[in-house]
Formats: sequence, C-alpha cells, structure tokens
Amino acid sequence: MYPTTEAIYLDHAATTPVRPEVARVMAGALAEDFGNPSSGHAWGRRARRRLEEARATLAEALGVSAAHVFFTRGGTESDNLAVLGRVRHDLAHTKSGHVVTSAIEHPAILEAAERAVVEGAVHTVIGFDAGVLDLDALETAVHGRPSLVSCMWVNNETGLVLPMAEVAAACGRHGVPLHSDAVQAVGKLEVDWGNAPFDLLTLTGHKIYGPKGTGALIARDPRGLRPLLYGGGQERGLRPGTEDVAGAAGLAEAVRLAVAEAPAESVRLRALRGRVEAALLGRIRNVRVNAGDRPRAPHILSLAIPGADSDTLLAALDAMGIAASGGSACASGSSMPSRTLAALYPGDGAAALRLSFGRLTRSRDVGAVVRAVVEAVARTRALVSP
Amino acid sequence: MSIRAGRLRILAAMSGGVDSSVAAAMLVEAGHEVVGATMKTFCYSGEAAESRKTCCGLEGIRDARLVADRLGIPHYVFDVEEEFTRDVIDDFVAEYGRGRTPNPCVRCNSNTKFRDLLRRGRALGCDGVASGHYVRLDRAAGRPRLLRGADRSKDQSYFLWGLPAGLLGLLHFPVGDLTKPEVRERARKQGLATADKPESQEICFVPTGDYRDLLARKLLPTHPALSPGAIVDPRGRVLGRHNGYSGFTVGQRKGIGGGRPERYHVLEIRPETREVVVGPRHLLAVGGVVVAGLNWLATPPEPGRTLHVQIRYRAPALACTVEALREDAVELSFREPARAVTPGQSSVFFDGDRVLGGGRIRRVVGARY
Repeated sequence: MYPTTEAIYLDHAATTPVRPEVARVMAGALAEDFGNPSSGHAWGRRARRRLEEARATLAEALGVSAAHVFFTRGGTESDNLAVLGRVRHDLAHTKSGHVVTSAIEHPAILEAAERAVVEGAVHTVIGFDAGVLDLDALETAVHGRPSLVSCMWVNNETGLVLPMAEVAAACGRHGVPLHSDAVQAVGKLEVDWGNAPFDLLTLTGHKIYGPKGTGALIARDPRGLRPLLYGGGQERGLRPGTEDVAGAAGLAEAVRLAVAEAPAESVRLRALRGRVEAALLGRIRNVRVNAGDRPRAPHILSLAIPGADSDTLLAALDAMGIAASGGSACASGSSMPSRTLAALYPGDGAAALRLSFGRLTRSRDVGAVVRAVVEAVARTRALVSP
Repeated sequence: MSIRAGRLRILAAMSGGVDSSVAAAMLVEAGHEVVGATMKTFCYSGEAAESRKTCCGLEGIRDARLVADRLGIPHYVFDVEEEFTRDVIDDFVAEYGRGRTPNPCVRCNSNTKFRDLLRRGRALGCDGVASGHYVRLDRAAGRPRLLRGADRSKDQSYFLWGLPAGLLGLLHFPVGDLTKPEVRERARKQGLATADKPESQEICFVPTGDYRDLLARKLLPTHPALSPGAIVDPRGRVLGRHNGYSGFTVGQRKGIGGGRPERYHVLEIRPETREVVVGPRHLLAVGGVVVAGLNWLATPPEPGRTLHVQIRYRAPALACTVEALREDAVELSFREPARAVTPGQSSVFFDGDRVLGGGRIRRVVGARY
C-alpha cells in the first residue's frame, strides 16, 4: 500500500468526512432517540421531537419554512424526486410532461430526465455558448410552460456558478417551477437561501461534513410533486419510510455549521485555491482553468491538461499521496468523457484534473500539492509524447 | 522462476478473472509492491453493460477491484478505448474484410496491453508489468526466453508471440508454473472473489458472441465481405450462394448447405471474387505456409532449419522446415500435410517449449486442388 501519513485529500467535491460536531449529534440521536417517529408512545414522541428539531434547525439555517423541508436519503434521491415527481404529476394531470435542464447537470438529473422521456415526457437540454448558459434557448423553452426547469447552482466538475437570477427570472415570467441542485453551493457560497429564487432545492449531507445517505428537498409547493416511493406516508407522503432520525439530525447540524461558516470558509478556500492555481499556471505550460473566466465557487479547481491522460495522471497523484479526481467518475472508476466539459468546451479532449478544497486542506499543503501535480503532469505527458 | 528476487513495484494487469487475480496475489506474497490495473477496452454502455460476461465489462472491473481490495493493493482503471479500437477492433474488422480470420487477443497483447501498461506503469514508478497468462519466462540466460506454460492444457504462449522482444525482461507471468486447478486452489485459500469464476472464451469486444454484428456495424453495407457471393467447388462449379464471405473461416464445416454425399469444408476464401471454395475434408491438407508480419523473440532461424509451428490455439505444434526467410515473411513446409491452415491466424514458432517468434498466416502453399 502507498503511505498515507502525508497524504493530502483534495477531493472534497466528491465527499467529505463527518465533522466531530455532527458525529456527536448523531451519536446522541442513535443512542437516545431510537423510537419510531410514527409511534404514539413516549419513545415515538421523543424521536418525533428530535426529527422535528432537526427540520427546524435546517429550516432556520437556510431561512426557509420548516413545512417546506422534506428529508430524503441523499442528493440523487432529491434530484430524482424533483424531476420525476414533477413530470409524473403532470403526466397524470395533463397527459404531458416536459423537463428542461442545463447540459451540465449531475447524472442524477440527466438520467432522471432520460427516464422521464421513457415515461412519455419531453426533455429539453439548454446548452452553453462560449461557456455561458444559453438564456435565449431557456426563454424559448419556458415559453412552452414545461413541468420543471432544473439548473444546478454550482457545477460539480468545474465550480462554475450558474446564473440563477436570470434563470429564475425566465421561469418566473412564465410561472414555471425552478429546481436547483445546490449540493456544491451550500456552505461554499454566501447565499441568502430564504430569499433565493427557487421552488425546489436539493441538499445533501456528505458534501458538507455530514453523513452519507442523508439529504433534503426544499419544496415551496410540494403539491405539484408525486412521490417516488409508496408506503407509510412519512414526510407527508413525499418520502415514505421510517425516518432516519439520527441522519436528519446530522444533516441539520451539518447544514447549520456550513451556512454559518460559509462567509469565512469561502474566503479561506478561495485564497488557498488561488495560490495553487497561480502556482500551477506558472509551472505547467499549456494548461487551462476550466470556467476560469466565469464566476466560480471557491472550492473547486478544474484544470484542462492537453497531452496528458486523466487515468494515469490520477493514479500517479495517488501514488504520491494526493487524492484528486478527473471529470466525473463512473461506476467502473475510469473517467468518463465529461458531459460538462463537452458542453463548455466542445471538441476539446484535454484531460481534466479536479482538485477540490475543504476543511482537510491546510495552508501548508499548498507547496506539496503544487510539486506533486507538476511532477505527475510531467510524467504523464512524457508518456504521450515520446 | 517467473518472479525475480528483490522487491519491485509491479503493475499487475487484472481482468477480473481468476488467473490474473492469483498472479497479483502471488506477487504480493513474494513481497513485491503491486499496483493493480484493469484496462477498459471498449464502451460498456448499452447492451454490453447488460451482459454479464466474465473478464469483461463492469463486472470484470468490479471483480478486479474486489480482489485488489482483498490483497490490500491500489487498483486503477485505464481507459484505452481509443487505442484499442484503433489497434485491435479496426484490425479485426479489416482482416475479416480481407477474408481472413484474425486473433484479436494476439493483436492486443502485441500492440496494446503490455506496451500501454508499461508506459503507464512508468508514470507510477513501476519496474514491470505482470499478467495472468499461462507462460513462463526463463531469465537464466542473458536474454529472457518465453516458454510455454507448465500446464500444457492452459498454455497461452500462442497469444504472446508478438510481444516486443526488448520488453520481455520487464514482464512477469506468475501463474505460468502452475496448473489451472492449482490456481483455483490458491484463489480459494486466499478468499479471492474470482476463485470459482468460469473461464471466458469469447472475444471481449464481442459480448454477444457473434462477430458478424460488429462487422455489420463497422463495414459499409456494400462491402464485399458482407455481399452475396458464390459457393464453388475446387473446379469452380457453383454449388450455392452465401450472404458474405466474412461469415466463413477456413476449415469450417457448417453453413455450406447439406445434402452432399460427404461433408464439405471451407477450403479457401477469395475476397477478390467473393467466392467461398468448399470441398471434402482431405483437400484441407496443405504442404506449407507463408507467414508474414513477423516478430522474433529469438535469433531468426536460417533456411533449412527444422522447427515446430503452431497454427491454431490449442493445436499441436507441427514439425516443419524453413524454406525461405525474408525480412517480412517466412515460408515453411510441413513435414506432414497440415489441415485447416487459415489465413489471418497466428503461426507461432517453437524450439521445444521456447517461443522463437511468430507471425500471421498470409497464404498456404501446396494446396491439393
């Protein structure tokens, strides 16, 4: 095995460790609040109280109504619930469904939209023009009164911040519900979520030092959604199944801390990323920062490295104790051709390297990270050009 | 021994099958630092992802990863789809287009797999590459010698004649000294997930088992290999029609139309006229063969020398004499007439157990019709 003592984790956009405060809250809930929140007895009441406290904590942290918080089991589930829940509702009521997404959504949105097509709906993909979302195409699409527009807040591969105000304005003009996958935005951007322009919002715990398998969908009008699962009616029927009280408590605490710390943490991460970015641009020739000329979230640095091979580059970095990622990872572990980069940079086949910063990143890591990336890129490029 | 003494960092090719799993395990046991790697050779989306072929697709990758985790070694997936398509699949299609019968695994081993893994391994600081092939390397002599596997029923030297000679010293074949049952036994003892996995026989990029689907996708519908032609006997009499010579292989018996007094075999494919020549079995025997696209792992033999040649996987090696040797081709005459000598297939030259080199069968010499 490779040494891990000096290993540096730069894959916070993939997942994060549970922070101690969250673990403590969860340990307490697991030990004491084990009752079934649907039970009428004292144990049930206690668990129910804990669950509703979590809902209130999360709602307060975001400035939304607790009645609009629906706990799910993760980001993928929230995304699927938004897309398929909206489309199935419309298919049932109007015999037609239409989902509009950007071209760079997470697979949990794009694959759900493809599923919606199988079920009889239409999927319109809004592309990019020179790296900018095609708002004219969006305007045309919302004119047809689709069931839903889904546009992520922050792109997971590049950190690109989507123009949510403009997207929301277009949706608002035609009364079209807007969903946003905000899993890479919460805790990274200073957003007044309570006044932010969305109807549906996806959250997940594990990107913000909370537990995996936890998430929420903020739904300002849940009446327009069909559930994905059927059962005991929990979460007002939108997500049945005995509630994960400890998970909800952990998620709520993680959201609370992430939102509270976002102002300071975003400044820290932006500075760290800036140092790494400047050093790498200075020491590696012919390299591009993906979405570098666009508004970006502070924790992601995505580099396009022509002449290198993404798989080998990542393996070489792993061998040097640096955990990073390529584009998005598919189940095989091999890098897939990135739909995001294809949309932002059509025809560009450069290898992608994503470094994502977070609480595990220390200022003193910058030097080692830069040295390792420079070395790994040099070794990998040497293979391609003999 | 296939494993050198001293601690090395070795990149172990892991297909997700039992042989390469045990190969990696043996290197770990020998004290080497092992890095596992699986090559993703073609797109596993769509129908291929649905198939559950062994050593292929996501299942292979998942199994390789399970084994690597069990062994406590890193494991990476390398996407080589582009190179593999260009060097192996396109060649496979082109060879069938020419009326030949290719060995894509030979092509992959010669051009893609080992070269690519050695290249990538260098970036990871690896000294060599290992695989689960049943062959042995004799490093006692100055120049490493490639030998048949100890388990003759599993010997895979036929598929490795195209290895670049200069790279042999960097390769490791840990299971080459073992029999298949011994390999499975080791896998079971170590609790490897692949211990009882069935053998894979199909070509990895033809998960359906029918290569003609692939040809139909890759070749123009008007390509002669997919166009109707005549089935003729050796004297040129038309016996019937076929729907494309790419569906035929020399020696094959089926698909010629029954009702003949004796069973007919494919004797020859003539792409220029799209004719498939058929005849009785005894006409399959030929006196010699011209082998081209040569690769030597030993000093090339002088004309007049006797050696053994294997013209099909799992076939016995046949005694033959070198009639003529050029830079790019060698002509051999068989001591006894050989049957079903198939253009496109590999011919591998042996001196006892030692692989001297090989090439692709270009044409037969001394047919009896």
